[in-house]
Amino acid sequence: MNQLAAFGRFEVGRLVRSWKFLVITVGFPITFYMLFLGDRTAGGVIYGTVPWRAYLMVSMGSFGSLVAALTAGGARLSTERSSGWARQLRVTPLPAWSYVTTKVASSMLVILPVLALVDVVGAAFGGVDLGLGTWSELTLLLWVTALPFAVLGVFIGFVANAETAFPIVTALMFVLGYFGGLFNPVGSMPHALQVAARVLPSFHDSALGLGVLDGHGLHLGHWLVLAGWTAVLAGAVFWKHRVEELRGLA
Amino acid sequence: MSTGTEPTLLDPRRSRRDAGRDGPAALRFEDVTYRYGTHLALDGLGLRADCGEVVALLGPNGAGKSTTISLLLGLLQPQHGHVEVLGTTPRQAVADGRVGAMLQTGSGSGLPPGVRVEQALRLVRRHYRRPAPLDVIVERAGIASLLGRQTHRLSGGQAQSVRFALAIAGDPELVFLDEPTAAMDVAGRRAFWRMIRQFGEEGRTILFATHHLQEADQIADRVIVVNHGRVVADGSGATLKAAVTARRLRFVCDRPDPALLDRLEGVTDVAVHGSAVLLDSLDADATVRDLVSRRVDFRHLEVVGAGLEDVFVALTDQRRPETSGGDGPSVVRQESGTGRQGLGHRPEGAQRSWA
Repeated sequence: MNQLAAFGRFEVGRLVRSWKFLVITVGFPITFYMLFLGDRTAGGVIYGTVPWRAYLMVSMGSFGSLVAALTAGGARLSTERSSGWARQLRVTPLPAWSYVTTKVASSMLVILPVLALVDVVGAAFGGVDLGLGTWSELTLLLWVTALPFAVLGVFIGFVANAETAFPIVTALMFVLGYFGGLFNPVGSMPHALQVAARVLPSFHDSALGLGVLDGHGLHLGHWLVLAGWTAVLAGAVFWKHRVEELRGLA
Repeated sequence: MSTGTEPTLLDPRRSRRDAGRDGPAALRFEDVTYRYGTHLALDGLGLRADCGEVVALLGPNGAGKSTTISLLLGLLQPQHGHVEVLGTTPRQAVADGRVGAMLQTGSGSGLPPGVRVEQALRLVRRHYRRPAPLDVIVERAGIASLLGRQTHRLSGGQAQSVRFALAIAGDPELVFLDEPTAAMDVAGRRAFWRMIRQFGEEGRTILFATHHLQEADQIADRVIVVNHGRVVADGSGATLKAAVTARRLRFVCDRPDPALLDRLEGVTDVAVHGSAVLLDSLDADATVRDLVSRRVDFRHLEVVGAGLEDVFVALTDQRRPETSGGDGPSVVRQESGTGRQGLGHRPEGAQRSWA
């Protein structure tokens, strides 16, 4: 446990000391939030009873966690795998599974402050005013539901190499962001895209967040889709890890 | 940290005790086959190292050296055959923190980006239950001046030294080094091997892969030559040299006496053409001394083809599988003794252990 904690601290420390990581994860969602706010400040009701400003805060929180997870996992992981560091760790007593779980856990850890920051910006500039209970519920919910993003980031780190990771991460950020309805409500999209959005974890992630503000029901379907994505991606990481072990690439 | 009773890197007691014991071999490889797709990397490879031995795995690129080390570390599983490390499975030995390794990293540094050297070293130490003291590791690897550096600002040679520090962080009994001096300049190389030699003198077992013949010859107690996934020779550097008719003496002599020349020490073959004499010898030094003491009137003495390089080429040359010219088997084996020879105290001259 001690060695896992040390490894976790090491990983989070590396992340927060990386200015590139901070600029991207903090800069993207906040900038988009400010831009979109100015765009439609007078906007009306968007999702059930949720106003535009609050909708934006939820979807930018969701986008922020997506960006943080893909950046923390994807490009960084593939770089250190190709540098030989991952292999070096494999020949220490650190168990193989704890490398992967620590990566997922440290992605999750850096997502939390990003969500909190989006909340602060929402309160300060977006005029969003929720009770303390709702703020906490929303933030915790968006945090827990970011797990498939964290696993996705690690999966990309496993399948991409140092050159391909960055374009893949960028493409996924915008595909999941745009088609998942984080920049624009899915309701305003053509029918085909509305159907497509329901496949993406980003849609269900923000839908659960909006559900907190809307106050309706359990949203079991959203949970199921997110759980499905998490399971499939975790399985894919496990499979890739196995294959590499057999071929000796890990 | 070190207590009075815990053996550490600086404490040779444990090693001596272990080396003298009739325990399991430090590593054992039995009839191991490994294939990458259709490429046969290891073809029934068998090798063994005793506790406290410094062994070189010498071979050209693609000979199977890295595959062997990956198998010894449990990064690969043998498709056929048996691998044992410190009396257990490779994975168990690694999990118990008894093994350290410096792997090949290709173009990468093998170090985590975005941290200082000290942080990486402290992290790796944490993975072991009984790590070596930090200051001892640092002193050993000679990286005191690098501790505060960012890992991505190290030169290739500096990164290698840091990776050596990581390899010994767990105070291991057995260390694998895969072409450890690849990115080093000549001075760095020399310093590195001095360090390894010291480390080995504590009785730790070291297996290093290299394609530098001098490194293998100068550092190792025993050299195992591999090619095409098979062991082609196994013995001390001197034994390997002797495996091939390594020395040929050529001189001019007024009235050469073939019978006398044949009796000279080390001589295996004599050819006389008029006044020109050719001698094949297993020990050129002894032959020359004998020439002098028997007052043979020789002039224009030349000794050719004497390096381990020639041995290596001969042993690994596929076009000439029977390289030792019929004087002996092409595979030389010298049974490793129970006690290990001190470095620099290898038996002088050739050992005709195959005769």
